[in-house]
Amino acid sequence: MSPEFYVGLFILVAGTLAVAFPRDRSYVTRLINLEIPSWGLLLVMLSYDEALALFTFGGVSALTVFVFVRLIQKKEDV
Amino acid sequence: MSPDELAVTICIVIAVYSAVRIALERNTLKKLPFLNVVSFAVTGVIAIILPHPLTILAAAAYFVGSTLESNAIASTIAGGPEEKDE
Amino acid sequence: MNEVVTAGCALLVLFGTTLTICERNAFDKLISLSVLVAGVIPFIVARGYLDIATATALIAPLSTIFTLMVLFRRQER
Repeated sequence: MSPEFYVGLFILVAGTLAVAFPRDRSYVTRLINLEIPSWGLLLVMLSYDEALALFTFGGVSALTVFVFVRLIQKKEDV
Repeated sequence: MSPDELAVTICIVIAVYSAVRIALERNTLKKLPFLNVVSFAVTGVIAIILPHPLTILAAAAYFVGSTLESNAIASTIAGGPEEKDE
Repeated sequence: MNEVVTAGCALLVLFGTTLTICERNAFDKLISLSVLVAGVIPFIVARGYLDIATATALIAPLSTIFTLMVLFRRQER
């Protein structure tokens, strides 16, 4: 396979473990760690030449971060 | 080694060296100039790596985006834009 | 894309991942995440997907700015 596949797979596994077991259990740490496996999945999709999946996933991941940010802000206000 | 390969090798060496400096730096504010160096070097890599007329558009988009990002980080560390009028 | 550039971009991605996981300060994590993005974009360009590279390079700072909104509101208090 191409080097994109192996690098992306390593980031996917390492980032998922970092989201599941973060160093300090705050929401912002998990939110920033959540972006690591997102880029890993992007690289794995790239190694399989899925152009439409790449385009859609890139747009939706930013939207997901926005939704999580609104949720964290609402939870901190209460 | 052709001139393009030499240029792209120099760019990627600068980028990796600057990433090492980011890893070794303790102060957050002192990391930001090295982040800018990484962005400039990667912009050079993107512009050289593929001989296609639209490559310069992708390089310009990445340049604008990364500069905006590091400016936003520095502005948030400094306290945000609202404190200027006090 | 020759071997030196591939190895350099893979090194950038691995440095970014390790630093993002290991740092404690949120701003340091965002800076390391930016290094990770800087390693990913040349892989997309080298495959020839220039439109996707443009869109991704413009979307990545957007999600960082969304995350900074939380940190800015926390810093105000």
